[in-house]
Amino acid sequence: MPQLPADVLRGTLDLLVLKTLTLEPMHGWGISARIEQFSRGRLDVNQGSLYPALQRLEQKGWIESEWRTTENNRRARYYRLTAAGRRALGAETTSWRRYVESVELILGTT
Amino acid sequence: MGALKGMAVRLRALLRPRARDRELDEEIRFHLDLETEKYLRLGLTPAEARRRALVAFGGVERTREEHRDVRGVRWVEALVADSRYAARTFLRTPALTGAAVLTMALGIGANAAIFSAVNAVILRPLPFPHPERLVMLWEENKEKGWYKNVVAPANLLDWREQVGAFQDVAGYADDASTVTLSGEGAPRLLRVTSVTGNFFSVLGTRAALGRTFVDEETWRAGAPVAVVSDRVWRDHFGSDPGLVGRTIRIEGTAMQVVGVLPPRFSFPAEDVDLWLPVRWAPEDRAETWFRRAHWMRAVARLKPGVSPAQANAQLQQVVGRLKRQYPETNRYMGAGLTSLHEFLVGDTRLPLLVLLSGAGLLLLIACANVGNLLMVRATGRHREVALRLALGASRPRLARQALTESLVLSLLGGAAGLGLGWWGTRALGALQPEGMLRVRDVGMDWSVLAYVLAITTASGLLFGIAPALWSGGRNAAAALRVGGRSGTEGRRTRRWSDALIVGEVALAFLLTAGAGLLVRSYQELRRVDPGFDPDGVLAVSLVLPDTRYDSAAKVRAFYQTLRERAAALPGVSEAALVSKLPLTGTAWTSDFTAAGRRPGEYGSEVAHRVVSPEYFRVMRVPVLRGRPLTAEDRAGAPQAVVINDALARSFFRGQDPIGQRLTFDKVPDSTSEWWTVVGVVGSEHQSGLASPPQIEALFPFAQQRWDAMSLLLRTRGDPVALAPAVRQAVAELDPSLAIHATRAMRAVLADSLARDRFLMMLLLAFAGVGLVLAVVGVYGVLAQLTRSRSREMGIRIALGAPTARVRWQVVRHGLALILAGLGVGGVSAVLATRAMRGLLFQVAPADPATFATVAAVLAATGLVASWLPAARASRADPAVVLRGD
Repeated sequence: MPQLPADVLRGTLDLLVLKTLTLEPMHGWGISARIEQFSRGRLDVNQGSLYPALQRLEQKGWIESEWRTTENNRRARYYRLTAAGRRALGAETTSWRRYVESVELILGTT
Repeated sequence: MGALKGMAVRLRALLRPRARDRELDEEIRFHLDLETEKYLRLGLTPAEARRRALVAFGGVERTREEHRDVRGVRWVEALVADSRYAARTFLRTPALTGAAVLTMALGIGANAAIFSAVNAVILRPLPFPHPERLVMLWEENKEKGWYKNVVAPANLLDWREQVGAFQDVAGYADDASTVTLSGEGAPRLLRVTSVTGNFFSVLGTRAALGRTFVDEETWRAGAPVAVVSDRVWRDHFGSDPGLVGRTIRIEGTAMQVVGVLPPRFSFPAEDVDLWLPVRWAPEDRAETWFRRAHWMRAVARLKPGVSPAQANAQLQQVVGRLKRQYPETNRYMGAGLTSLHEFLVGDTRLPLLVLLSGAGLLLLIACANVGNLLMVRATGRHREVALRLALGASRPRLARQALTESLVLSLLGGAAGLGLGWWGTRALGALQPEGMLRVRDVGMDWSVLAYVLAITTASGLLFGIAPALWSGGRNAAAALRVGGRSGTEGRRTRRWSDALIVGEVALAFLLTAGAGLLVRSYQELRRVDPGFDPDGVLAVSLVLPDTRYDSAAKVRAFYQTLRERAAALPGVSEAALVSKLPLTGTAWTSDFTAAGRRPGEYGSEVAHRVVSPEYFRVMRVPVLRGRPLTAEDRAGAPQAVVINDALARSFFRGQDPIGQRLTFDKVPDSTSEWWTVVGVVGSEHQSGLASPPQIEALFPFAQQRWDAMSLLLRTRGDPVALAPAVRQAVAELDPSLAIHATRAMRAVLADSLARDRFLMMLLLAFAGVGLVLAVVGVYGVLAQLTRSRSREMGIRIALGAPTARVRWQVVRHGLALILAGLGVGGVSAVLATRAMRGLLFQVAPADPATFATVAAVLAATGLVASWLPAARASRADPAVVLRGD
């Protein structure tokens, strides 16, 4: 992950997780694999930091989890987006885009 | 919705942390397995795949830590650990812990008890549906000085019909009286209130058994009915469900019981046993006296959505109309309304708030003491603190731990205080003067528990702040250095101790001054001359039922025979009759005028009492002019009356009242009765010693009819010892007559002061405890301060300074602080006691004598508290002091 201030990093990770979960419920490893896949290998999420992020999102009520068995008959915790989470995703995406625009504006003025 | 679910997740994670840890570990294992498989599929060896997976994951331990942080577990874990540590350290010093817990318990307990009373009496709404819609209607008369007065029934009925904002208006007789229940075993006295038929429906109370009254039963048609209270149903009728429908005999009249009320219903007084309908005669409605005589209380229920202001506006319109329609009775009669709750609790608010403030001051003093105990402890552990700082503990962490200790201590004290407070509420309920608090059982409910929790936590934070700041605000080196020798304390600690002394003295002054004012006020009250001599007089009150005593002759015969027999009893020097005992209020008042006065020159509000001639001798009321009533003033003789000094002074200024003729109407006419004034007697107080005596006229018993008289007996010994003999004399004359009350006049006098005495005793108790705590606390701080200066003193004495001077310097410091505290306390007391003005009788809120006495007591105590430690320190051998640690 590029070096950004901690809270921006945290917020960005939350955004990525929410976005990834719009497709289907997934377990932690699946989310990290999907993020890596979609970013075309450019974002190599520190996989360990995913789990505190998932707990935080669950405490906010934006995702919910349940234990399920996978195709290989293993037990895994699957995460799913909630209605509140879907709304939050929209809001977070907007504020992220605005943030990027502001940074671009500043960088653009020379 | 999402937030709620999220909170549930958070809570689960907090409550079962280890389970959550295990789940996380399982997730991490799953993740690592899949990542390892990925690398295996890429062709790496199992060991290499595993290694790559771990690297990709990042630190497993760090993930676990961060996860715990997100859960907030660390904070909870720290709290639990700190609490356990605090409990251990407290157990290691049982004396200090015990003292602190006891001190806190006293402060919390006092507050819990008083707040329970405040909650039960003032804060709790009345136990009726929609109590905010109930209002009390009253009449006022500026001319007579009536305010929030009882109403005349005719007016009540007219308001009911004409004021649209009232859903309904009910009435009840203002005095609960006593009647005899006979025919069910021994005759039993019951407290009864007369009410209109719609009384229960206006209040919104349903019967537990049977029914309550209906509106038609207000009027005297149909059979008499009655409603009994739950307590009487249980105590006297054995909870018999068949009581409803049964007939009982009240004062000899048969009545049918139509209902039993639910438990805990008691309106208007705490101990009403029986409710009877007023049973007015319909033809009375149009009579003038029905509108002129005031004796009912009126309760109205407002229509939903109507505000009291709107209702009052409509009421005033009707009142204006009635003034024009009935000028003879209503010309000066105004009316108004007050919320029922306010009407009932209005005059207990100030005393309860004063008590609550007193308890609050006591709690502050307790907090100061405990705060100091904790500070002493904290400074005593400075080496431990220094060590922990050196080992890397963070300052906020130490501060938080100190605060946790304080909170644990205050919670212990709070729990003990809750128990103490519970006992206190029982005591309050049992010892309160009759009817002072609206409810008898002042119990603890959830509001009280919440209040106790709040003040406990606040106290814990208050006295915990100083030790917390002290622990958190030091750096390791300085702490280790200070710990070297028990030399000079840090400057901050000394400032804290100084502030503590000043504060405690000020608080103690406030509390003691408040109590002192009440004591002086009570003393002033006791000094008031009631107008009669209460010692050695027994009063026995009776009511003759008019079913058997239906003529004036029969009433007179009974009472006169009783009086003669009572006078002949052994030990009785004299016996008399009176219609109303002094200090119990007035029964009948009227207007009056004298012959020869200009028309329009009349007086109002003269109290009427009926007495037998012996009254003045029995009560030792001085005869100031003329003669008292005698046996000559009997039926058929010219009508004679005796007036009291207050009436003579106000109406007959400069004239000799003897020989004047009075009539008791505003404007005399051909039907007026005239009474000749034959004497002037000293004024007795009718309504308590704090109010001046009212103007009064005393009529001879032989020339008036009065069914409810009190027999007064004067004896040289203990009056109560006469009671059995009197009871027997009454029984001999009429066995079915029950005695209403038997009291020594000394007790009547004491009862009239009961409220003031109760309040004074309570505040005095708080002040006493507060004073002891403050003295102990101040002494403790001064002793510790002196001890810390013992090295300095030792050096000075060793260098040759006179011991007395060295000692004086230390004492002076202590005295200066105490005087500063007295100053602060004095100023705040002057400001604060102004609020007590309503409770004080002939004592100014800033009474100099009281304040000076309190200041002197505190200064003297403070002097001793400063001198003792200094004396002890200065007597120690300087060599020992200098050498030792």
